[in-house]
Amino acid sequence: MNTFTLSTFLTSHIEIEADFVETLMAQCKSLKVDKGSYLLKPGEICQHSFYVEQGLLRYYSIDEKGKEHILQFASEGWFVSDRESVYFHQPSHYFIQALENSRIILFNEDFITGLAQENKSFLEFNNKLLHNHIRHLQNRINQLLSASAEDRYLHFIKIYPDLLLRIPQSMVASYLGITPESLSRVRKDLATKNFKK
Amino acid sequence: MATKNVELVMAPREPHYVGNGFRVHNFIPSGYHLDMQRMNPFIMLDYNSKFYFPPTHEPRGVEAHPHKGFETVTIAYKGKVAHTDSSGGGGVIAEGDVQWMTAASGILHKEFHEENWSRQGGDFQMVQLWVNLPAKDKKANPKYQSIQNKQINRYHLNDNGGEIEVIAGEYQGIKGAASTFTPISLLNVKLESGATADFHFPEKNNTALLVIEGSIIINDKEEAPADHFALFENKGEVVSIKAKEKSVVLILSGEPINESIAAHGPFVMNTRAELVEAFDDYNKGKFGYLE
Repeated sequence: MNTFTLSTFLTSHIEIEADFVETLMAQCKSLKVDKGSYLLKPGEICQHSFYVEQGLLRYYSIDEKGKEHILQFASEGWFVSDRESVYFHQPSHYFIQALENSRIILFNEDFITGLAQENKSFLEFNNKLLHNHIRHLQNRINQLLSASAEDRYLHFIKIYPDLLLRIPQSMVASYLGITPESLSRVRKDLATKNFKK
Repeated sequence: MATKNVELVMAPREPHYVGNGFRVHNFIPSGYHLDMQRMNPFIMLDYNSKFYFPPTHEPRGVEAHPHKGFETVTIAYKGKVAHTDSSGGGGVIAEGDVQWMTAASGILHKEFHEENWSRQGGDFQMVQLWVNLPAKDKKANPKYQSIQNKQINRYHLNDNGGEIEVIAGEYQGIKGAASTFTPISLLNVKLESGATADFHFPEKNNTALLVIEGSIIINDKEEAPADHFALFENKGEVVSIKAKEKSVVLILSGEPINESIAAHGPFVMNTRAELVEAFDDYNKGKFGYLE
């Protein structure tokens, strides 16, 4: 059984009737996407937020020089959304791409407002999720402004313990805002410190 | 003694690539009825059915990756694989050879088609089997048993019927070349057309076979053509195989390890907490570093 379904996520975090969750889920779209395909491209107005039941997505931009900058990875149990586009209806600046064959739940603003109106504990829980997301973004800004490459890497593996085995090193480096060469150096230094033959 | 009946014969599933050098059909654990507990102690079997790789100057393979908590057994039928690990070890697995690698406490390695072989290109055919370790041995130091084909003891069948290479376990008094942590039989059965051979396995073992070449009849009943996998019931002890044509069959039988399994990617432990620790150890370079 997949423990990362959105209905399991909801029922395990808030007081909500299983029947009601089923009605809600019927309003969401479940989508199977192939590795490499896109859920969002720049210029589009994003209609949905995404929840990953299985697989892996990345949320990134490409600068004028053609360099990729990864803002977020979303593996099983993660949400990803271009909030400027979904909630402020602006054309997106970002790509959301599947890095593995994935199963994604799509939901829109109405889903959130509907759920909040019906269920008080959801409102509280959703606020907590938002605060957690903002905390994550604050940490990320601080890391990018002040932390060493090693500290950024150690923070990355805490948040994404299994990603190193699922994505190329160059994407880890892009997320950390360092070159692939410095990532290699960081990992080599850690191994020299920690490897016991 | 009672016959061990066939539970199911399975055709190879859609192949997928491991890195860019191994085009494999997975049988264990994704196959119908072939999950880790059913097949225990065999927790993974990937089969690269015979596939032609054209010549290249850049060897194909899998970049550095870790393993922890079990053993990988690579059986080369065609082609050559070169491997390197984070403690400086390395070698080549050539046609007919078997590499039995005990990852146990953790190893970081990479596997590529051997350089000269890659330049020539050719047919490639291999099995990679993962054998679980009991909790007490999951922390053992990593080691290799590089078993060259000539080191594998053989039982010769009567009337030039063929031979049985005993990779692990025992067959008719012939002892296997590999040492194992729990009781396991791994036999490479090479039969001439029309030849038959019988095998005995305890009921508590989980037992299966993979047809590498040719086509066979099992227990005078079921037919299993090349690249098909047959799972046996636990009940019964005797299996007979008859070759419809010249055939090669890999037989695996092992005593289950009655412990919980927590597996994710290349780590197979007993609990979720141990899995989390395995990822952390890998991320922090405790398995070493390999470009």
